Amino acid sequence: MSALRELSTMRREPGRGHRRRGRSAAEKGDNRAAVFFLAPWFIGLFVITAGPLVASLYLSFTDYNLLQDPNWIGWENYVRMFADERLLNSLGVTFTYVLISVPLQLAAALLLAIVLDRGLRGLAIYRSVFYLPSLLGGSVAIAILWRQVFGTNGLVNQFLALFGIEGQGWVSHPDYALGTLMILNVWTFGAPMVIFLAGLRQIPETYYEAAAIDGASRSRRFRSITLPLLTPIIFFNLVLQLIGAFQSFTQAFVVSGGTGGPADSTMFYTLYLYQRGFGAFDMGYASAMAWLLLVIIAGMTAVNFFASKYWVFYGD
Amino acid sequence: MRNIGFSARRERGRGRGVAGIVGAGLVLALAACGQADDGGTDAGDPDASAAGEDVTIRFAWWGNEDRAAITNEAVEVFEAANPDITVETEYVDFNAYFDRLATTVAAGDAPDVITMGGAYPREYGDRGVLLDLAEVAEYLDTSTLDAGALSNGFFSDTQYGVPTGANTYGVVVNPAIFEAAGVDLPDQDSWTWDDFADIAAEISANAPDGTYGAADPTSAEVLDLYLNHQSGHGLYLEDGSLNATPELVADWFTYSSGLMESGATPPATITSELTTQTSPEQSLLGQGLAAMSFGWSNNLGPFREASGQDLILIRVPGDTGPNGSAMWQQASQLYTINAETEHPEAAAQLVDFLVNSTDAADLIGTDRGVPSNETIRAHLSEQGLEPTTQVEFDFLSQVSEFIDGDFVIGPTGSTESAGILTRLNQEVLFGQTSPADAGAAFVTEVTAAIS
Repeated sequence: MSALRELSTMRREPGRGHRRRGRSAAEKGDNRAAVFFLAPWFIGLFVITAGPLVASLYLSFTDYNLLQDPNWIGWENYVRMFADERLLNSLGVTFTYVLISVPLQLAAALLLAIVLDRGLRGLAIYRSVFYLPSLLGGSVAIAILWRQVFGTNGLVNQFLALFGIEGQGWVSHPDYALGTLMILNVWTFGAPMVIFLAGLRQIPETYYEAAAIDGASRSRRFRSITLPLLTPIIFFNLVLQLIGAFQSFTQAFVVSGGTGGPADSTMFYTLYLYQRGFGAFDMGYASAMAWLLLVIIAGMTAVNFFASKYWVFYGD
Repeated sequence: MRNIGFSARRERGRGRGVAGIVGAGLVLALAACGQADDGGTDAGDPDASAAGEDVTIRFAWWGNEDRAAITNEAVEVFEAANPDITVETEYVDFNAYFDRLATTVAAGDAPDVITMGGAYPREYGDRGVLLDLAEVAEYLDTSTLDAGALSNGFFSDTQYGVPTGANTYGVVVNPAIFEAAGVDLPDQDSWTWDDFADIAAEISANAPDGTYGAADPTSAEVLDLYLNHQSGHGLYLEDGSLNATPELVADWFTYSSGLMESGATPPATITSELTTQTSPEQSLLGQGLAAMSFGWSNNLGPFREASGQDLILIRVPGDTGPNGSAMWQQASQLYTINAETEHPEAAAQLVDFLVNSTDAADLIGTDRGVPSNETIRAHLSEQGLEPTTQVEFDFLSQVSEFIDGDFVIGPTGSTESAGILTRLNQEVLFGQTSPADAGAAFVTEVTAAIS
């Protein structure tokens, strides 16, 4: 309440005469208001994020089994990881998933954004329709739906049957299961698409007009104007989606019934981490895995930022 | 509830913010509720009020909605008889149950009465999570239960669990599919693992597309029986070490992939799809698409209901061989009590009610196995058994003649073996790994898990 009052005084302040006194009072109020409004976030950070973060770092050096008190075992968990074939396999699965599905997802997002940017009638509706999967894609309901659609008697196979093709259980075959999860991820292109749309709006119309006068073709305009000016946006989306994709869990968990199967083909790193920690009473190891994931994601992001010097154009 | 009251009061003590006021309101509201209830108990049940104030306990199990419906009914009867005890129930399907349990235990938020099964009681008991039931013997009478069944909950010199009922393993058969395929039912007194394979292949050949002689039989239970029949010992030895050798396990993978190749069991994609679907309704047997499937005797009812067929139980193949049957009759599940519970008496009373009361038996029946309490069994028989329950009772007494004590409960860490087996079997069925390599991998991985 008092913070609200402070805010309203602040707004009135500049119109008044006593500037000096007013400003210092306003500044004090300003700070207090800032702290007040940031408090929920700080509480969240320290209680929900930072506390567990530090705890997990500690636990990664212990043999914590969830049920008993942890014992310090030094680097043993980290050493074990290098010999764990299933962990290496899960890294392979995760990298395959990230490196294929993220570029495809961004390409789909960019394509749709360019189409929608043409000022179609009913744009808002299309935008919402295409954005919808992004809101739903990470949900359990959609993952269950996916399992049905790509199952042995699912929609996909019923559709194929119309053409006399006998399909198989796509989510239950090790060669295709990961592919269906990639399709699910690509399908959720709505969030990057909206950001691309905003980016496209930022490009001044005059550039295109000038290029058109000079006789540049449509594809030339795309390559030489749209793409370069959009690179900061592409970069932003790439960083976000890469981080998100590395942390994918729900889809694989639900589609494979928590097993990462068939035959570990959808065993995402996060899923294996979950299985070790919560299924196999191996929480110390799982904590160490979480820190390895942090290092991997940080490394990938660092590479991304480093590489961005060579392809991202900030227009200066 | 208590937590809300506590933190709210602390907030108010600092004299700050809206939370304190709201919290104070909550405390008042709670106090009002409590008073009303106290009044009720005082009038109704002097014994209970002497024992203390109202308590709330939580009771968790795994299973489907049918089980939930009858269990909740039983719990309501218990609450009516013990007005000072409120029981909150929670259930999830089996795949998620133990992940969730581990999390709640770690968070110090575990249920008071915990349902356990397989090698899990040991995982938890040996790590100090479960209450020594001797401490609540006053409220929980275990003398009524069969000694054999009770021993399933006894390890490390402590009685940690009470059997929900006895259970055994067999082959669930759909006679209608046999008949339609023109194949005679197997002779359970002589059939072998080879017979099982031949019969299943013959049915698949004669049955319509999509109907199979058998569901893929690979599971920890079946592997245990198979190893026993082949070598005289199951997966584990008495001392908790692994008995299975790479060669023996490789034999199993050769067998299971042979079944698939002959068409006796469905293609790998269907088998792998089924491993993600554990409810009876989703199984091949439950859909009426398999003539045979290995399973626990207490699942006969759900399978019958799902398939709408008069399924029967027969003994597993190979159990009349030279190495004995290795059959077991064990507690299908165990009721255990959380060592950290604030209300051990109330929790013990609930368990006592579930296993020793005819009221509970009338509702739960044999859903968690055939009751281990002689009186309850007699009571159920007197009431006139439903046909399904009769079949189950008969099968259990039939199998009991073949029990030779070779069955060993897996050591701590062995709960991982089921997942390892399923995954390696998939790799073999999809042709990614040879049976020999999978056999070696199984032994390596399970050894690591139990060491």
